[in-house]
Amino acid sequence: MRNLVQFIVRNSHFLLFIVLEVVAFLLIITRQAYPRSTMMTAANSVSAGVNGGADYMAQYFGLRSDNMQLNDEVCRLQAEVERLTNLLEGQTETDSAAAGYQYAHLGYQMIPAKVIDIATGNERNYLTLNKGLRDHIEVGQGVIEGNSVVGIVSSVNEHFSLVVPVIHIGTHLSSRIAKNGYIGFTRWSGVDSRHAQLTEIGRHIEVMPGDSVITSGLTATFPEGLMIGVIERADLDEGDDYYRIRMRLTTDFKRLRYVQVLANPMADEMQSIQQR
Amino acid sequence: MNNIVRHSLRFVWVILLQVLLFNNLHWLGIAHPYIYILFLLFLPASLPRWTEMLIGAFTGVIMDIACSSPGVHMSACVAIAYLRPLLLRRLVQEVERIDTEIRSYTIGLQPFVVLCAILIPLHHAMVVVLEAWNLHMFGWQVLSILLSSILTMVLVLLFDRTK
Repeated sequence: MRNLVQFIVRNSHFLLFIVLEVVAFLLIITRQAYPRSTMMTAANSVSAGVNGGADYMAQYFGLRSDNMQLNDEVCRLQAEVERLTNLLEGQTETDSAAAGYQYAHLGYQMIPAKVIDIATGNERNYLTLNKGLRDHIEVGQGVIEGNSVVGIVSSVNEHFSLVVPVIHIGTHLSSRIAKNGYIGFTRWSGVDSRHAQLTEIGRHIEVMPGDSVITSGLTATFPEGLMIGVIERADLDEGDDYYRIRMRLTTDFKRLRYVQVLANPMADEMQSIQQR
Repeated sequence: MNNIVRHSLRFVWVILLQVLLFNNLHWLGIAHPYIYILFLLFLPASLPRWTEMLIGAFTGVIMDIACSSPGVHMSACVAIAYLRPLLLRRLVQEVERIDTEIRSYTIGLQPFVVLCAILIPLHHAMVVVLEAWNLHMFGWQVLSILLSSILTMVLVLLFDRTK
């Protein structure tokens, strides 16, 4: 007993070091197991408040490019209105793809939000949005920018929410090649915030650079037809069962400012029937 | 008392500088300098070791909250806080006599550079590897650790020149 006490006294610094490191590693491992806890993340109110304040000041520096972006958006929307008006008046052509796209959107509600903090240089990237529970944002909802996929809400508190973007090494997003409808999975391997991989596309499928990759519509998170990326390279070695596909992401995460969160009122119903 | 105020103030501005400025700069898309550890490097040698480790843990937790990386910075900072007194005892004779903070003008330029050159890459390596929690990008991680360490080193030595 005396020896034990002596041992503890003599090595007290080393023991404290070990205790603190064990606590740190427990935190790291818990993060791997429960990635949805907000306590130790940038979505907690103090940290989000600081980042929000910094963003409030920083937004004045981007007014010029913001205006240009808004202008582009207005032009695009005007063209869209024109096109749809013509379509309605003429009623000559039935654009089935456009019709399906509209239909899929019917059930979803869009909540506009602003990105107040974003990391793109790590392997586990995240973004923080300035909307939370109070604006009806919930864990698991999809986040888009215009017509392209950004990520999925991973945790929410009263005023802020944390989003896991496509550029995160845990990404496993059900996707479809627009041209022929084949299903694969979008994955991301780190480093490059502009490119991702499309996996599980078998060798019998015809894949060409330039093909669009869209959301599959098989999950409640995203409707079918939102842009994920455009295929840049599709490699197939002798003996490979699946293509190695590299695609350029439609969303430029380094320039992301305004996004929309997709709320699907039917999500719970859809998931409960799928789990049966 | 004066010392405590001085170091607390440094803690605040170093963390703010790190979170608001340096966390948002990615030089060449690969180098992420963590200059906030200069706060831990500059702490006085007369500090009891357990206090130093608790300060290190606290600093790490604050950074973890700001970076959404629970445990990662805490682990790296505790390691620095544990190793720094051991290194100082090897590098500087009678280091206990220095009751001001550890700077190049109190312990000499060469020991200070050696201290930084050991602790900064160690901290960066722990942060990069623990953050990713795997080694499948090993080459890229090594390059990132090297470039980030060099940048942090240069910045810490620059800050060291100011009073």
